[in-house]
This record gives sequence, C-alpha cells and structure tokens, in this order.
Amino acid sequence: MDTSSSAQPLFEGYQPLPGTWDEYFEKPGQPRGEARRVIELLDDLGAGEFRVRQRLADATFLRGGITFSVYSDRRGGERIFPFDLIPRVVAAARWQRVEAGLKQRIQALNAFLSDVYGDQRILEEDVVPRDLVLGAKGYVEAMRGVRPPGGVHVHIAGIDLIRDPEGEFLVLEDNVRTPSGVSYVLENRTVMKKVFPRVFSKSLVSSVEEYPLRLVEALASVGPAPDSEEGTVVLTPGPLNSAYFEHSFLARRMGVPLVEGRDLFVDQDRVYARTTLGPKRIDVIYRRIDDGFLDPEAFRKDSVLGVPGLVRAYAKGNVALANAIGNGVADDKGIYPFVPDMIRFYLSEEPLLGQVPTYVCAREEDRKFVVDHVDQLVIKAVDEAGGYGMLIGPQASRRERADFRARILANPRTYIAQPRIELSTCPTWASKTVSPRRVDLRPYILTGTQGSWVLPGGLTRVALVEGSYVVNSSQGGGSKDTWVLQEEEEA
Amino acid sequence: MISRVAESCFWLNRYVERVEVLSRMLGVNLAFQLDVDLEDAERWRPLVVVTGQEEEFLKGSEAALADDSERVQEYLTWSEDNPSSLYSSLRAARENARTIRETISLEMWETLNDLWVWLGQRSARKLYHGDRQAFYLRMRNQCLLFHGIAQATMLHEDPFEFMRLGTAIERAGQTARILDVKHHSIGPTASDGDEAPGEVAEWLAILRFCSGVEPFLKRNTAAPSGASVAEFLLFDRAFARSVLHNLDRTGNFLRLVRPPRPSPIGERSQHLLSELRQRMQEMTIESVLSKGLHEVLTWIVGATGELSGAIHDDFFDAPAQGPPGQSQEQSA
Repeated sequence: MDTSSSAQPLFEGYQPLPGTWDEYFEKPGQPRGEARRVIELLDDLGAGEFRVRQRLADATFLRGGITFSVYSDRRGGERIFPFDLIPRVVAAARWQRVEAGLKQRIQALNAFLSDVYGDQRILEEDVVPRDLVLGAKGYVEAMRGVRPPGGVHVHIAGIDLIRDPEGEFLVLEDNVRTPSGVSYVLENRTVMKKVFPRVFSKSLVSSVEEYPLRLVEALASVGPAPDSEEGTVVLTPGPLNSAYFEHSFLARRMGVPLVEGRDLFVDQDRVYARTTLGPKRIDVIYRRIDDGFLDPEAFRKDSVLGVPGLVRAYAKGNVALANAIGNGVADDKGIYPFVPDMIRFYLSEEPLLGQVPTYVCAREEDRKFVVDHVDQLVIKAVDEAGGYGMLIGPQASRRERADFRARILANPRTYIAQPRIELSTCPTWASKTVSPRRVDLRPYILTGTQGSWVLPGGLTRVALVEGSYVVNSSQGGGSKDTWVLQEEEEA
Repeated sequence: MISRVAESCFWLNRYVERVEVLSRMLGVNLAFQLDVDLEDAERWRPLVVVTGQEEEFLKGSEAALADDSERVQEYLTWSEDNPSSLYSSLRAARENARTIRETISLEMWETLNDLWVWLGQRSARKLYHGDRQAFYLRMRNQCLLFHGIAQATMLHEDPFEFMRLGTAIERAGQTARILDVKHHSIGPTASDGDEAPGEVAEWLAILRFCSGVEPFLKRNTAAPSGASVAEFLLFDRAFARSVLHNLDRTGNFLRLVRPPRPSPIGERSQHLLSELRQRMQEMTIESVLSKGLHEVLTWIVGATGELSGAIHDDFFDAPAQGPPGQSQEQSA
C-alpha cells in the first residue's frame, strides 16, 4: 500500500455546507467524536489508494450480480446500485435512542392496524379522521375482522429517517408493506470488509449479519403450526422485478425456498408448493408482492403474479403472510401526521422520535396555506413512492408549481406538504475529491410474537448529484455502509 | 424441491453443456480443417446443422456469403438471433442460474456470471480476433470448471441430481447429432462401415468433437472407420459421452430424484427410458449400419427428446391438487 508523503489526505479541504448537519465534521477541520477514527484511517490511505479501492468495490458488485433490473432497458439490463465507500457513522448512545423510538413507533402502528381491522376505537374517538382512514388507498375492507397469526401485522418495517440541522433524527416516512433495500445493507458490509479490511477491523462496528436469521425467527413465531420453519417460503414476483436480487438473496441467507406465484396453489383453503415429489404444505409466506396482486380471486383479476385462493386460506388462519394484508393504510402519507397521536392513544407515551411537520391538504386551513406557499414546501402525493409524484417547491419552476396547485385543489385528499428539511450531509467521493452529499437512513425493524428487533444501522441512501435532495435509486441515488459504533468514542 | 427450480437446474446444465460442446467443435474445426481437403461449405456447414439452425442460417444470409467460414463462426459464436450460438446459450444458462441463485452455490454463480460479463467486454472480442483457439478453449474450460465447482460445492441431493440429469440427456442427444455430422458433409456411411482414405480424417474430427480420440484408441488399434467410431460413440458404456453411457446415467439420476417408496411420480419417464435402453442394448453396430446410421441417429435424437418431455410432465408440471385425505373436516 502506498502511504508515502505523495498520498493526499482524503478529507483535506472538506467544507461542510452552512445550515446543515454534517455527519463527519462540526466545522471545517473539526471532526465529530464518532467520526474521528475513520477519518484518520481514510486519511492515511490517501486519495489515490481510495480510488483504487472504489474501483475494486464496483467490480465486486458487478461480479456478484448484485444489481437491480432496469425496466426500460430492452435487453433486460441490470445495473449496480452506486455505492460510496465512505461510511456513515452513528454513535452508540445516539443509536440507542433511535432504536427505542423505532420500536415504539412500530408498536403503535401495529396497534393501529389491529384496531382499524378490528373495533376501530381510534375512529370512534376521532383521534384519526374516519374518512381519511377508510378512504385510504391501502385500506382493505375485506380484512375487517381477520386477525393475523399472533396479532402481528408489521413483521418487517423500514422507517425512513432524516437528520435536521440540529442533528435530530426525524421520521420522514413509514414503510410497512414491502420495504426493500436490506440486501444492500448486508452486501455493502461484505464489500467494505473486503476492500477496507484494516479500516474495518479497527473501527468497532456493530454487526448486521444476523438479520436473515432474525427474520426466520420472527416468521417462525407467527407460523400457524409449531415447528413451521419447514414450510416457510419467500414469494417473489419473479426475475423481472427490480428487487429480484434481494428476494433471492434473502431466501438464500434464510435457507428457505424462493417461489413465484405459479409455484404455489391453494386446495381446500390450504397452501401448497408444487415440488418434484408432489405437493408440500406451506404455512408462512414472506411475500414481496403487493396486496393488489396477491390473489386474483380477491383483488386484481388480471394478476398473474399471485396465487388464486391465497386470501381465503389466509382468512381461515391456514397461512401466515408477512407483512399482513392491508398494511398500506398505516404507511399512507396522509395518515403519517397522526402517528404521534396514535402513540399517545395506544401506548400512553410521548413519541421518542420527532417527525416532519405536515400539512394535510384534506383540511381546509392547511390546504389554503399550502396553495399560498407552494414555493416553500415539499409536496407529496400520498399514494406514490420512490420519489415520484413529488414537488420540491423551492427548486421547481413557475409552471410546475402552478400545475401542483391545480392538482391539490382538484384532489386535496391526495396531497400533503412539508417544509423542506436541510437533510444532513456525509462526505462522499465525487470523482476527484470528497464533497458533502445529502443522506437519509432506512433502518429495518423485525417483529414477531416476542417483540421487535432493530438492525443496527440500516440503509444510508445518498443523493450523489450535487445540491440534490432526492436519494432514491431510481433518481440518481446511491448507498453507503452505515456504521453503528459499539461503544462511545472518547471525547 | 420446487418444480420450477428443478426445471431451471435441468436446463442450466443443458445450456452449459451446449456452450462446452459448441466451443469444442468450433475449436477442433479450426485446428483440423488444415488436414482435410474440403470446401468451406463442407467444413463449416455441418456445425450449423448440428445446432439445428440450418434453415434459419440460410434464410438470414445472402446465398453467396452463406458458406464464408468467418460468417459461420460469427453466427455460431456471437449471433444474438441464433438461439444456439455460444452467446445465446451462455445467456440462457446464466439466466437460468440467476433465477435459482438461492439453490446453486455462490462459486457456481460467479463462474458463470464472470464468463458472461467477460463475453460482453472488448477483451473477449480481442481474444476472438487475436487467438481464436484460446478464445474457444477459455469458453469450454470455464464450463468444465463450472461442473467441477458444482460437484465440489453443492449438496449432493435433488437440485444437483436434476442438473446432472440435464447433462446426461443433453450429452446423449448431442453425441447422436455429432455422429451425424459426417452424413451431412460427405454422405451416408457405407453399410459395411469401410471408408475411403480421405474420410478417416473426418472420423478423427468427429472423435475430437467428443473429446474421444484417446479413449477410442484405448479400445481400437486400427485406424478409425465409420463402423468403429459409430460403435464407440453409441455403445461404449465407459465413455463419458457415448449414448448408452449417458442413458445409464440418466437412469441413475432418475432413480435418485424419484420418491424413495414406490410412487407414480416419474413413472412415465422411467418407462420410456427403460424402453430406450432396452432397444439400444439389442442393437449391434452391424444392425445399425444395415438399417442406415442416419436413420438410427434420427431415432435416438427423437427418443431423447421424448424422454425430456416426459421428465418435464412428471417433475416440472404436476397438477395442482393437494394430497388426498386432507379433507375440510380435519382442519378444525
């Protein structure tokens, strides 16, 4: 390794953005405690050697086929998810608070789903407006009265967090249907260990490796039959799906079969897999197919991805689905503003994690304010994801603003608005130098009948384009490894 | 195991086998065309015939260019329109592997994916133009490496047996097709099996297509003739690419993937295979030549195709019906 004097320290001249929390530096040249060690190690390595390792990492992803499919590509192209080698670092004490807040939030969301598909107490007491809930796109009336095994609705959650200019973690969005990305967390870690063995071994980072086993455990706990691990499968829409790599990866690491809809069938309200030795009973399905496509008998008739009769078998209690059907009502962007009230209502606790103040366009006074301040707000369609159906007011053109104003007035229920938060930045390799780029964080929470477990860290997504606030992989985003330190760094 | 996955295992190995066989044939043809005084047409066209693409190839070509040896090689190696080209077979193998990554070992996947990624890069084209023998050698060695890695890293249970089943059936059919090459280049083999001197080189090439020269010489001291080569490639039970050897292996793997107790699952495949082996065992090289080698080979290719279809019906496409006796009442 070349560590001679010609090697330029990686972070030399790094300038954090004003008015923004930087994950590494309090001020230019003044590192935060939790980042100090990794800064020293990377500086030692130097920019030239860093470039070499970045190329090695990219080649490793391509070689492993760690890719996502690009629908628009005629040859069914696969791309690697751009990966930045400079890790995001979170201090141990800070993470403990985030973890407690996430567990609390999942507990409340789960209670909300049990309630909405049960007695609807929260609607009776008008804590969340009834029409907002029953009119939500993700609400599935057919699930009213169906209690999932063990009472668990949200087995796997991905809660998107951002960090405000004071460094507080805030919830930006809940994902309790089929959150994706965890495979990149595990693969990013593997690649980091491979290309930075020395940096890694000196940094006391919490392991992420047990995730698949924890997932198997959580799923087994909700299986209708004891010793149900035998009959657990991962259900994928198939190799053309953009997240297919992840489905395959999880099945491999969990040691369970990966199936497509056509591999399963329902006979007398029981689910079977077609195997070379005849039908085999299945009692737990980790499904990565959306509600609408799950069962052509119950939902979309044109779905060829699903399993006819699956919902009947589920309603009879003969099979557990993770996540439960109908969870979309809980992560609806229009319901999001009411989550703190849910926490107070079900748990009689104050929320441990803050969230972004939100204007609900369905409310008249909020709507008036939003329409008058489009140029200062971020506007989101409640039923869209992946950075689509969104307007960033301060960066939008006159015409785009007018367009969204009209859309809001025509369909107020469909929109919410939030002030633009200055997302925190993390030093990121930008082709020649290291520059601040905005990041978010998606931690993953697993829940079985024994309670919740939070993966230390999660997926840090980074907006690779200078000045961008959009971190989605479909819109020029990349990812970073996330290091939750095992112990407090000395000050 | 899941039927669809078993089917992908089966086809994964069939495609890998096609890549290996075709690269060897292309390499051998390059090296040994110098020994044989044949027109370009006679030298290269048979390879198109073996892959079953003659009609498509002629359709897509200007008649005058059709037998240009560069064009044939290009077509058999790189063409995306030719479903039997090295490129297409490797793509199909890799695509099958991609859908069963949770079943095969990581090393197997990396071997195939590396080869696929390499084939799409400039360095592969450079090697093709600079040292074609080395190009084809690399292709086929990677296939052999794949088999070795599978053997050493996979659990030796159903997925692996379905893969080996695919290899055995593919080889039985391929060897029959290769043996038929001479019929397409020079003409029918005489019923006494004796050949004009020029044809000896042709028979040697056919043995080389099957990696069979040295194994053949361990069995025969005389120069290869139509009769001795056909006998060896059809009936030698110890030769890895003979038809009968691969039918024997098919029987072994079929037994391993069927349920341990007597069961209707796989019955039809077993029955077809038994018939096929029976008929092969009753033949002699004399009876084959008097009936006409080409006719017998055509029959073998058809019969292995039918067997492959039966395996599909028995294992990959079973009816969607729960086991008997699981009635509604028992669910309470």
